[in-house]
Amino acid sequence: MTIKLESLDNYRWLVPKTGRMRVPGMIFSNLNLIGLLQDDQSLIQVANVATLPGIVGHSLAMPDIHWGYGFPIGGVAAFDLDEGIISPGGVGYDINCGCRLMTTRLRADEIRPMIKILVSALFKAIPCGVGSTGHIHLSKSEQAKVAVQGAAWAVKNGLGDAEDLVRTEDHGTMDGADPSVVSERAIKRGEDQLGTLGSGNHFLEIQVVDKIYDPEKARAYDLYEGQVTVFIHSGSRGYGYQICDDYLKEISRSIASGKQPFDLPDRQLACAGLKSDLGRRYLAAMACAANYAWANRQILMHWAEESLLETLSIGPNELGMKLLYDVCHNIAKKELHTVEGDQVMLCVHRKGATRALPPGHILLPEIYRSVGQPVLIPGDMGTYSYVLAGAEGAMTQSFGSSCHGAGRVLSRTQATKKAKDRSIARELEDKGIFVQARGKKTLKEEMSEAYKDVSQVVEAVHGSGLAIKVARLRPMGVIKG
Amino acid sequence: MLKLTEPPSLAQSFDFTHGYKYYLQMDSGKSDFILLDHTADLGIIVRGSDTKDLFEKAGLAVIHLMIDSIPDRETKSIRISLNGNDLAELMVNWLGEILYLFEGEKEIVTSIVIDSISPTYLDATLKTVSFDPKLHDIMCEIKAVTYHQLEVAKRDDHWEAKVIFDL
Repeated sequence: MTIKLESLDNYRWLVPKTGRMRVPGMIFSNLNLIGLLQDDQSLIQVANVATLPGIVGHSLAMPDIHWGYGFPIGGVAAFDLDEGIISPGGVGYDINCGCRLMTTRLRADEIRPMIKILVSALFKAIPCGVGSTGHIHLSKSEQAKVAVQGAAWAVKNGLGDAEDLVRTEDHGTMDGADPSVVSERAIKRGEDQLGTLGSGNHFLEIQVVDKIYDPEKARAYDLYEGQVTVFIHSGSRGYGYQICDDYLKEISRSIASGKQPFDLPDRQLACAGLKSDLGRRYLAAMACAANYAWANRQILMHWAEESLLETLSIGPNELGMKLLYDVCHNIAKKELHTVEGDQVMLCVHRKGATRALPPGHILLPEIYRSVGQPVLIPGDMGTYSYVLAGAEGAMTQSFGSSCHGAGRVLSRTQATKKAKDRSIARELEDKGIFVQARGKKTLKEEMSEAYKDVSQVVEAVHGSGLAIKVARLRPMGVIKG
Repeated sequence: MLKLTEPPSLAQSFDFTHGYKYYLQMDSGKSDFILLDHTADLGIIVRGSDTKDLFEKAGLAVIHLMIDSIPDRETKSIRISLNGNDLAELMVNWLGEILYLFEGEKEIVTSIVIDSISPTYLDATLKTVSFDPKLHDIMCEIKAVTYHQLEVAKRDDHWEAKVIFDL
């Protein structure tokens, strides 16, 4: 199956409505990135998502689109609350996988001589890697509180400040969470994974603000060149994976038995009506995982701060670590959007896409109301990450969404093969980046060449008006699972 | 030991490889499955003489992906029974069960016997050993067994399954 693309301008490509597609597809990209899509099946996935009941507008793909399972990674789709569906595969296994960026008062030149000591201390303080368990063991009743309260649970337990919640998407708590619809297996997997980073592309980085693009917005975000920042990428761990798995199974069974009347091009697109009992239960379980993830990142931030304070032997004021923002990029949310001039509530799936609210949006905290929501875009460990600001173009074109990262261009096996006899750690050290990883293969699988050029992805987002470039961050120290 | 081949002669004899560019083949005499390269994730194609053989080999393939070498020690025997709407769903549920034993119960499956199997039901006896991070090298984290491009079918004189994992 070949998907035809129609170029609309230098940043937008239309996938015309054909066959069973209910709406057209729209790819945000640029002339350098669009060619990469020919080699995988992500465009077919954009077309498949367009066949789902109740889809509104376009089946959208951000510039970091790549081949996922069911939905493409970098996919955004909004559904009508009456006619539409909720799809666990459209959220992903790692529910509320997301990013958190902290600013500090440190300057890069001050800490550069100590970077190895700092990275080693963080590596010791932050549990990471496959099957890693944390310093927290949750009883069932305590886990239920995490599932309902999210990041607020961590703050109540002394792992952060109330101000952190203001600087977290949805204040770090998703409404509607119901722990009674979470399986015993998910509860078991969630018992001792709170406060763990995970493996694969999850990371914690010490970074330096390398370049400012928009001085006014950077001032509002308290970002300046030479400043040290700390970036965390993690999610809901095994708790979220199990919730997604449980509901995919139940929804697949429901479709097979004819209770959900859907004829799907890919079983991974299994979905339930938003108004159905099953759809509502998934949303309530998904909210539990979203809250678990927010608590997780809040705790990881707290431990990172403690580790830096202890290693540098300085006080909290001198370190000045402050949360800039926390965003999720695997989620489905009910949001108000304008469709053909009318304000309507829609269920927006973001599978590897970040919310990007423009200046003035009612959901923004006062501190960011005039500049727009910080949009955090992690790159690979050898290049850059970016901070952008949500723009009006996101509301008019992408249901308030932007990209979520660089997006893989090489599979893990291709990357491992390409890195065969190289020492990736040494190569990074030569560039001034000190890295520690738990997994034997992690550094090769996660090397820079495995990812698209994040600068190109960000350029495409900026050029298409979804978000505005504010600052570029360069890694100095990296820990990975 | 894994060896990359592009594409291996073995892969060409499988029917489900369409659309995939690279293949990774086990280089350990256990060439009962091949690895499918997927941009973000990873998949397997498994071949078995019958469904019993297919499910046993697919189960072991998951362990091969996760663990550097399957431990020869075993401490527990576990019997499991599973349902599925069809063979494909039964395969996802089966591999998901093996994954859960590791992720939820910290047990590594070391040997598998399918005691009985139908298109919608299976009984199996698994031998396992408790995961010990000091002894067992984890190669990769499999988050889940997906339904994406899932296929289980009879091909001439044998059975094949294609399964994509979320990593």
